[in-house]
Amino acid sequence: MISLSDIPARPAAWITLPMVVLATVLLATPWLLPAVGLYQYLGIEIAIWIIFALGFNLLFGYTGLHSFGHGAYLGIGAYAFGLFQHNVAVSLWGGLLAAVLTAGVAGALVGAFLSHRRGIYYALLTIGFGQIFWFLAMKLHRVTGGEDGLLGIPRPPLTLGSWQVALTDNRALFYFAAALLLIVVVLGWRLANSPFGRVLQAIRQNETRARFVGYEVWRFKWAVFTLSAILAGLAGSLLAMAQQGAYPDVMSLHQSGLVVMMVLVGGGLVSFWGPVLGVVFYFVARDVLGGLTETWLLWYGLIFMAMVILRPEGLAGMLHGLSRRRPRLQPAPAPATEAA
Amino acid sequence: MIDLLPHLINGLTLGLLFALIALGFTLIVGVMEVINLAHGSLFALGAYFALTVIAGGWFSGTPFGAWWLSLPLGLRYVLALAIGPALAGLAGMLLELCLRPTYGKPPLYGLLLTFGAALVVEELIRLIWGTGEQNLALPQAINSAVLLNGMIFSTYRFFAAGFSILAIAAVWLFLERTSAGAVIKAGAHDSEMVRALGYDLARLRLLVFGFGSALAGLAGVVMVPIWGLRPHVGVDIVIPAFLIIVIGGVGSFWGAVIAALLVGLAMGITGAYAAAWATMSMYLLLIAVLGFRSRGLLGRKSALEN
Repeated sequence: MISLSDIPARPAAWITLPMVVLATVLLATPWLLPAVGLYQYLGIEIAIWIIFALGFNLLFGYTGLHSFGHGAYLGIGAYAFGLFQHNVAVSLWGGLLAAVLTAGVAGALVGAFLSHRRGIYYALLTIGFGQIFWFLAMKLHRVTGGEDGLLGIPRPPLTLGSWQVALTDNRALFYFAAALLLIVVVLGWRLANSPFGRVLQAIRQNETRARFVGYEVWRFKWAVFTLSAILAGLAGSLLAMAQQGAYPDVMSLHQSGLVVMMVLVGGGLVSFWGPVLGVVFYFVARDVLGGLTETWLLWYGLIFMAMVILRPEGLAGMLHGLSRRRPRLQPAPAPATEAA
Repeated sequence: MIDLLPHLINGLTLGLLFALIALGFTLIVGVMEVINLAHGSLFALGAYFALTVIAGGWFSGTPFGAWWLSLPLGLRYVLALAIGPALAGLAGMLLELCLRPTYGKPPLYGLLLTFGAALVVEELIRLIWGTGEQNLALPQAINSAVLLNGMIFSTYRFFAAGFSILAIAAVWLFLERTSAGAVIKAGAHDSEMVRALGYDLARLRLLVFGFGSALAGLAGVVMVPIWGLRPHVGVDIVIPAFLIIVIGGVGSFWGAVIAALLVGLAMGITGAYAAAWATMSMYLLLIAVLGFRSRGLLGRKSALEN
């Protein structure tokens, strides 16, 4: 199987071709969606989940740390945004900052606890912490509204200096989410191809060796966990605006598992772009299969199982395989192992 | 002062049932080094098959169904106690066949595959048995109430606790006193060596997976009258089972039993003071234990850490 390190990156580039393609597609989305019989809100959902999934993949695909409780930070971001609007001020930037900070602090605390753990124990503790946050959201009625959720979160207008634009329209909110998404993509790409990103990949390949090479591995694990929690918080604040409410169900194990499935199906293990493909595939499958059959999750689950068995490198890996011609006449080079 | 006795008894019963689920889980983890996230789904499948056996579901309306329902409930219950786990075991074997391509890859793949399987099984249950909450009919002999010390207890809890103790003892005897048990333990210790000694590792894994799944199914049949039966029950139960394995130490028999009792008691005692927070105590216990012992109470180093 190929891995992230085998797909050549152009680390110097700030802007790459796939980014231009993504930006173009995003720009055209409000016209594309109605043209294929879908609706504007779907675009917002997809943009939010891509932000979430990209942040998650820094942890999952790049560092090889398997968090099964990541929905918690999405939820924390959503609640923080809503509580800020209700209790402090109706302000977009304030809400975003509150969401990012709260999710970041929660991630930093949990990360500090997790970062000395490895393998399955790491995964288990993320489940444990994720469930605790979910449970708190369900039970702290006075703060979060319990199972009913935190309702009536406004969509504050976007203000830049004296320029102001309302985000109440789904199309306007979509463009705002898409702009944030593009910023996350560019920064995420730079980070993944920076020396920091290389260390993350070294940790995935062999944590013990990375430690012996002289890196303080737990600090990197802590930093990347916090970072992915921050991005989850950002996605959460957009989700609160999109739904005009914050609900505990995104924090459940089920939803935390969904992001893992999306990233894997898309090919997050082999490509920076895997999460993007995976999220789009999930939501399109949900709407198309969901229109045909009540039990679409059954089919999505079967697709996922087949993918894990046959093609764990996901959609991105399949695309990569297609784009590569087959100059396999000369003796094949030594298989690119993880150790290479 | 709240009288703790009923809560302690509830907690202990719960703990014993958890132990039963966790044992199947720990056997599979030990021998296969696969974290089976679908273990809870096999638990649910066992219970749903038992439901069908007791209520004669698929044959209702036919002469066979009528004859079946004329059998005494006790007999149907005993049959369900055998058939439910057996079918869950078969489903587990099917899952093991799907898992084969993931052997030799990082443990993540087994985890992901079984996560997908859990999703699929849950949807299948919704499709076949419907989405509502259902009840398992119980024979009168084990479903009445006793007056103890001025308080009413359901006899079913005592039946479930006693049954779990017997089942745990049987599993322990099987592992410690039979040659098949010795091979399983050896497989958990060093599967390559077992293969080198001439045992068919593929068959061993298939059988262990089936056996562990049957235990999950058995726990399902016994436990659902207490927990309720709904399609989501598999996910609800796999988390405690999972936590118990980790608290007890992956692959350790007595670790799992002790941890299960601890979790059960923690939930029971928390339930006495703040019922809404009972589930939370389990996670706090996990974090407390792993904070001090990174491999759980009785855990050893294993391949799952890589």
